[in-house]
This record gives sequence, C-alpha cells and structure tokens, in this order.
Amino acid sequence: MPAIRSTVDRLDKPSSYATAKKRRRERHRENDEPNREPSPEPEDKLKDATTLYVGNLSFYTTEEQIHELFSKCGEIKRLVMGLDRFQKTPCGFCFVEYYTHQDALDCMKYIGGTKLDERVIRTDLDEGFAEGRQYGRGKSGGQVRDEYRDEFDPGRGGYGKAYAEEYEQGR
Amino acid sequence: MADLDVKEEPRDDRRAGVDSYRGGGYNNKRRRDDDNDHYSRDRGRGPQRRRHDEGLPRRRYEEPPFPKLRRLLLNIASSTKLPQDEAIEIAKIFGENFDDERLRSDFFDVWVQLIIEQPFKIPFVAAVALYGNEVKPEIAIEAMKRIGVRAQEALNAGEWKEFKLLLRFFACLQPLYQDEGVFTLLGQLFDTVVDLQSANENDVVGIELVKIILLTIPYAIVSGGTRFHEQAQQLLKNTGIVAGNMVPIEGLIHSYVGDEEQKPMGYHSVIGLLQAQLSNEAENGFELACLPRFEADALQRTVEKTEDDSLPTAPETHAFPTFNIPSPVNPGARPVFPEAYFSLFADQETGTVPKTTDVASSLIRDAIVDTINQLDFNREIVAKYLVDLDCYWHLGTFAKRGTAFDKFRDAIGDKLQYKSEDMVIDAIFSQLFKLPSAEHKLVYHHSLITQCCKVAPAAIAPSLGRAIRTVYKSLPMLDLELGYRFLDWFSHHLSNFEFRWRWTEWLDNLELSNLHPQKAFILAALDKEIRLSFAKRIRSTLPEPMHAMIPERLDADNSPDFKYDNKAETPYAAEGQTLLSQLRKKATAEEIQVTIDSIHEKALEAGITEVLVPSTDAFVTAICRLGAKSLSHVLSCIERGKDRLLEISQNETARRQIVASVVNYWKDQPGVAVRIIDILLNYTILAPMTVVQWVFGSHMGAGEALTESWVFEMVSNTVAKVTNRNRQIASARLQKGLPQEQIDMVEATLTKDRDNARELFKYIEDSTRGVEEGSADGLIEKQSSGELTEEEAMLIRAWGKRWHTVFIRKAQVEESVVGEEAVEARIKLLAAEPDVPEAMEEGNGVAAATNGEAQMSEF
Repeated sequence: MPAIRSTVDRLDKPSSYATAKKRRRERHRENDEPNREPSPEPEDKLKDATTLYVGNLSFYTTEEQIHELFSKCGEIKRLVMGLDRFQKTPCGFCFVEYYTHQDALDCMKYIGGTKLDERVIRTDLDEGFAEGRQYGRGKSGGQVRDEYRDEFDPGRGGYGKAYAEEYEQGR
Repeated sequence: MADLDVKEEPRDDRRAGVDSYRGGGYNNKRRRDDDNDHYSRDRGRGPQRRRHDEGLPRRRYEEPPFPKLRRLLLNIASSTKLPQDEAIEIAKIFGENFDDERLRSDFFDVWVQLIIEQPFKIPFVAAVALYGNEVKPEIAIEAMKRIGVRAQEALNAGEWKEFKLLLRFFACLQPLYQDEGVFTLLGQLFDTVVDLQSANENDVVGIELVKIILLTIPYAIVSGGTRFHEQAQQLLKNTGIVAGNMVPIEGLIHSYVGDEEQKPMGYHSVIGLLQAQLSNEAENGFELACLPRFEADALQRTVEKTEDDSLPTAPETHAFPTFNIPSPVNPGARPVFPEAYFSLFADQETGTVPKTTDVASSLIRDAIVDTINQLDFNREIVAKYLVDLDCYWHLGTFAKRGTAFDKFRDAIGDKLQYKSEDMVIDAIFSQLFKLPSAEHKLVYHHSLITQCCKVAPAAIAPSLGRAIRTVYKSLPMLDLELGYRFLDWFSHHLSNFEFRWRWTEWLDNLELSNLHPQKAFILAALDKEIRLSFAKRIRSTLPEPMHAMIPERLDADNSPDFKYDNKAETPYAAEGQTLLSQLRKKATAEEIQVTIDSIHEKALEAGITEVLVPSTDAFVTAICRLGAKSLSHVLSCIERGKDRLLEISQNETARRQIVASVVNYWKDQPGVAVRIIDILLNYTILAPMTVVQWVFGSHMGAGEALTESWVFEMVSNTVAKVTNRNRQIASARLQKGLPQEQIDMVEATLTKDRDNARELFKYIEDSTRGVEEGSADGLIEKQSSGELTEEEAMLIRAWGKRWHTVFIRKAQVEESVVGEEAVEARIKLLAAEPDVPEAMEEGNGVAAATNGEAQMSEF
C-alpha cells in the first residue's frame, strides 16, 4: 500500500537534488523502456538514514557550536567537519550522524533552515559518511560553491576563490 | 458552472508531462538554496507559479476534477471567500464526479487526512458533507462510512488524538442522524470510562476519554441545535465526577512550585476546566460563540434562485454508524498522562485571551495544539495556519490581526474578542511547557516560534516579548525543568535573531545575588548564547553594564590554562607537564605509569591516602588540555587514554575525580565539560551514579551548585541516558512472540537496570530534600558560620525544593512507564491482543522504542 499523501509537504524529505534526479530518471525510463522493472529508488537508501549533510556553515563555526545546536534533536554519534582539501581547515559544511533515523528526520524538520552562527543552514538526509567525503571538491580545495561566488561572504572566505585569484593577479 | 472549471489564477500549478488525473499537485517543489534565506519568503500561499509560465501566453486550462477538488478542500476557509460557499461549491463538483470510483476513493482519503492533520478545518470539511447530503445523499453516507472506518481503527489502536478529531467530524454532522447520533457513542464511551475507573482508581485512559467526550459535545451542539441540549446536560452530569477527580500523578505536573497564593496561575486540569466551562455554557443555553456556523438552508437558497419550480425537500437523514469499543481498551503506544492547562495571558486585566471560565479558551487551545502537534513535519505551514487563526473560527471571535496590546481594549470596545497572536503564543508555550513531557522534541517549538516571527513579525514579536517578560517574572516559582526549557528556548531563539534582546530592562536585577533565580537565569542565558556563538559577539549585543559578565579571557582563541604550567602553585606540576607531553607523543602505558607512580610517591609523602586522586587529576587534566582544540580532539585523546581511564574507574573516589578534573579544566565553558562528561558516560568510564555523586557529594557546597544551570543540564542528561535505556529494554520486552529464553534475559536486565535507576533517583531525591529542608550539612555549616545570610539560605532551600520536585516527578513518570506494574499491565494487553499482521506490530515496536516521539508510520 502506498503511503498516504499528507495534506502539506514534509520538510523531512530528501532535497530536490535527490528527488529531481529520481524524477528525471523515471521520465527517461518511461520514454525509452516503458516496460522495464523499476530499479531500486535512490530514496530507499535514505529510508534509514541517520546522517545529515549540513551546509552553508561559516568557516569559523566550531564543532562545539554544531554540537550545541544539533544535540537538541538527539544524541550525536559522530560529527565530521568538512575540510579544505589542502589547508585542512573547515570549509563550511559537515556531517552529523545521529543514533536513530527519527532524530535525523526531526533535525530536518526542526533545525534545517534555522540559523547557526547567524547563518541559515541547510540540512539534507545523507546516505552516510565515507572517508574522503570530508574534503571540499572545489578546485582550490574548498566547496565548489565557494569558487565562483561574486558577492562577498565574510563567513566563507570573502569572494569566490576563482575571482579572488583573478583580482590578485590583476593587481 | 463553466467558470468554475477554468483556472486562470496565478495559482496555476500545471506541470508538463503529469498525467491528467492527478494534475499538478500541491506545490511539491522545495527550494534549497544555500545562499538565500528562502524561508523568510512568504511560502505556503498556494502553489507558486512555475518558472516556465513566464513569457508564454496564458492558455485557458481545464483543471482535472480530482486535483481541483483536492485543492479546494485543502484551502477551504483560508481565503476571503465565505467558507459556506466554498463548501457548497466542493459538494457540487464532488456530486458531479461522484460516479468516478477512483476519484471518490482518493478524495475521501483527502478528507480523512485533512481531518487528522488540520483540525481547524474539521467543521468546514463536515460542512461539505452536510451540503453534499443535499446534492447527493451518497456523499454523506460514504463520508460517514470512510471516516467511520478510520475512527474505529484509531479507537482500536488507542490513538486518542486521531480518534478525537475523527469523532469531531461526526459531531459536526449531528443534524444528519436519525437518532441521537454522536451522543449515543459519547454515552458508550462514558460507560467505558466508568468501567476503567472502577477497575483502577488511578486510571488515566478514562481521563483521556472524558476529555474526548467533553471536547466533542460543543461541536455536536452547535451543529445539532437546541434539541440536543438535554443529552449534553445529562452527559455533563455524568462526567462531572471524573473531571473533578484528581489522580496522584497530577500533583507532579504543576507548572509552578511554592505558595498557592503567590503562583501566577493555580493548577487546572484540562478536563476539570472543560467540565466547569461547559456547565457554565449549559446554564447560558450553550452559546459556544467561537465555533463556526453554517446555514442549513444555504444550498437550498442557491438552488431556488436557478430552478424556481423545484420544491425544497427536507434533507435525508441517516443511521449513525456503529462503533465497537474494544475491551480491554487499548491505552495506545504513548504513555498517557493527565494534562494541566497552562496559560501565560489568561485571566489578566486586558483580556487578550479567553478567561479560564470561558469555553473558548479550551476549544481554541485544543485545536491550535493539535495543529501544532499533528503537522510537526512542516513548521512553515503551521506558522501560516496559526497566523491565520481567525479564518477558522466564528466571524468576530478575534480582534483585527496585529492589534497592539495597549490599544486592544479601545479596539474591541464592549465586544468579547481575543487577540489571536496572544492565543498562538500562549498555545505554543503550553506545549513547550507541557509536563511531564512535550509530544515532540522541544526544539520543534523553538523553530515554530521562530517561524511565526518570520511570517508575521510585527504581530507576533510583541506578544512574544510579553510572554518572555511574564515567564521571567515567574522564574522563582516556575518548575525548574520548565525554567530550563525556557532558558534553552530563549538563548536558541535569540541566536536566530541576531541576539537582540532588551537587556536594559533587566539591568536592575544584576544587583541580585547569583543565587536568585532571575540572576541565575541571566548568567545561564549568557553562557548558552556564547555556546551557540562566541564570547566577543555576545558581549557586543549587551548593554555596557553587562560587559564585565563575559570576561575577556573568553575572547582569546586559545585553550584554557593548564594548571600544571604553574610550577609555583600547583603540586605535581612537573609530572602534569610530563603527562601532557607523553600523551602528545603517544607514549606507552609503561612510560606513563612511571609518571603516575612518581605522583603517587609524592602524594604518599604528603600524607594523601588516596593517591589515585592527584594522579587522576593530572592525567585527566592533561587529556583535557591536549584535546582542548575541539570535541573530536578530546574524543581521540580519551580513546588514547581509555584503558587507563577504565582502570581508574574501578576506584569510586578516583572515578569522581575524573568528573572534577573535567569540570575544573572547563570551568569557564561548562558546556564543553557537560559534553565531555557525556562522552565519558558512553565509554562507561563514568557511571551515572558517579556524576550524580560528584554533583551532590563534591560540588554541592551549601547548595549553590543547584543554581547553576549547567549542573541541572548535566544531571538531567545523565538521568535521561538511564531512563531512555530502561524504556528501550521495556519496549524490547513488549514485543509479541518472544521466545521464553529471551524473555528471561530481557526481564533480568530490566530488573537490574530498574533498580539502578531507582537508586540513582533516590540519591538525587535525598540530596535535594536535604537542601530543601535546610538539613544538608554544607548548608547548615555555611549558615552557622555566617557565610550565608538568612535570605541566601532561603533562596538555596527554594532551589532545593524545585530540584526535588523535578526528580520526584521524573522518578514517578519512569515508574508509570517501566515500573513492574506498568510493564505487567502492558504484557497482559499484549497477550489479549489478537495476532496482528507483521507490519503493524513493527510499527508499534518502533513507536515505543523511540520513546515518546510521534508515530510516523501513518503518514
């Protein structure tokens, strides 16, 4: 039996990133091979998720601050800070792992979209931390989004790194 | 009718490639954008326009019937349209499409879901059925059938809130029944209450049932009219005894502690209040002014206009569905407790919220609270519905939105009207302050308040400000656990609003002794704010006279001082430093032992009998220093010293020293100490009893420790660890079909751990009672030496009383959940239960295991 649809949207669903990907794939499949058996849904991987990806942190936000806020949703099993690949300094994201799936869902509902260190943070269900994922994937070592930002964000290293370099060279 | 089928509003949510039956759905899109504060945008006002619409010529679009019906029903009473007209429109469209079986079934699913999730809209959904009965009697018949099935399921499962809400739907259809309708069922429910109460005088499920009965009556009377007053009065006579009765556990859920006359508000049980209010209404002809009304002949009038020749006929009536009240009654997955009525604004001069004698206080509160709790998965929508509160009640119940407090009396004149923002804030605080525990995690209420402030800042913020001042004033009397919840909320709330607070109005209180609850609150709030931010930032948000409260040493980014660096004043300084460098270099256990031995030798020479104390101090302090950079660092340092720490923990005195050393190292940032203690408990390097004994044995002093909020936090966390575990064990026992071997094992564990918990509680109770009664040694000592004034001693004793109250409650609540009697009763019920399909059983197990969290499986 399919789950009954709520009268309003839920805030504890995986982000549009994951669902959009899934929808695209389904549509694709319908067009190409209408009779194929559906493959396991990516959301299934998240159905017991206890880990959250937390984004839009300030580079200066500490583990203690994150603990203080996120433990309001349950005991934290593990906290992995996102680091600049080269500098090994915080680069504005982290993974928070709870003991239960329910705590992770509650965190989506109650903490996602609120402020930490005076920035609105975003949370997303995550299939679980794996070694290596703590590093930024941007060219200069941080997160990709910090490469090409054209407005100044003092909490995340000023201008985008790509622009900052240009600026430096131009001088 | 044609215009009704055409949608050319900006609400258009059509989506290319979606099948024509379902249509576009209701704004499924969720924006996620790291850079923008998208939450501040006005969301939830219906589907947003799709980007691809822009620039394209609008084409007239026929919305398929199901999405249209769904949209109309979900948005009923939310616009400027008359809800009655909306109900008629929905009934007509539904009538036209009633033969579509799939549509019919899907649409009734929406009804059920709307009733359960959005209690404000129940009377309006019922209105659709009322008018639908005239359009096509099958609409009403089928609605009763479908909603009846769901109500019966809720009754069987002991899902009391859902049962209450579904029953309300039936109450709103009272004019449609051939006989006494919902009153027959209410009568049967009361008989069940009598059975429950005569079987067990402390029964609480009966109390819940009486609450349901009392909250159903008003809706039945408003829809059914005067001919049911008699039944209502009869029922009220019956419920009176139960509602006026007090069960023992009620004595523990009072919001305030202390002298009855000084309390901001006396204790009222929710059902006691309801009973009195309804009896009051009965005397005044059941006015029930706040409930929305619908004209019985509204549909007839529209029909007459178009088809003059047809004669109006009386609407068809139907038999009330039969419900089967299970015996024994299933108490439900969540532990049931009696409820106290809490209000910050009730019975005050300005009358912004209904008086506690006014039934509106209970009816509106009940609907707000259910909305909050049922829709916890979307606080943005909840905030919108709460701000729109006035849409869902009888016109004129509320003053104009955002009417300022000081202009309120002038604005309403001699009308009886309420301030919706005050009612919303009051209701949220009633949940934040619900004892023994709130239905959802407390942080939900934090973020809901934040959201309300974002949706309607000008209207909500002043009400919230008055709420804060009211609670602050009541702090000396407020239950300590509630005081802590308030502190945690307050600091978290400010962190979402640039830490803005008018501290200047509390400046006078800085003169107070640190032992005074209000001063203690200010100190604790600053600490909590710093934890979420950093010292310098918080100082910048404070008025100048408060700057000194955040010492400058907290600004520096470096770690707290390592006392062994001070050779002149700290004994064993050399060994302390050696330990630090040994830990840093990952020296072997043998190498470290040499240093430890050296401390032991010196200690013996100095005449110290428990040499493990100074060596443990040095070892643990070195771990703290090495791990000072972050929690991950300290975690890996603990990991490194784990074996030795576990060895130390064999000696209770040394074990307590571990706590002492951690707290001492982090004395300026107790939040970090609390986290480290938590980690050490998980490693079983510390036992819960160690923490508690350190607090009440070593740290207590004359009882000053009881005023420090981090001490309460540490003890509460420790106790919660123990009780959560016991609840998990108990719920493991309550799985159906366990093999005997496993039952024995689980029961043995439960027995042992239950005893440990009791011992822990007893220790806390005894210690705090000593302070309360003024018989604690430390207190007597400092009092007789003149170190404490009489006034200060009285303040400390009041803290003792408030601590004692909290832990007595926690202990009894645990007894009622995991005590022998409670578990036995559950086991009996389990045995009586018919074998249920696998899936359901799993759902129950999960709900019990998550310990008071909402049961998610339904949604």
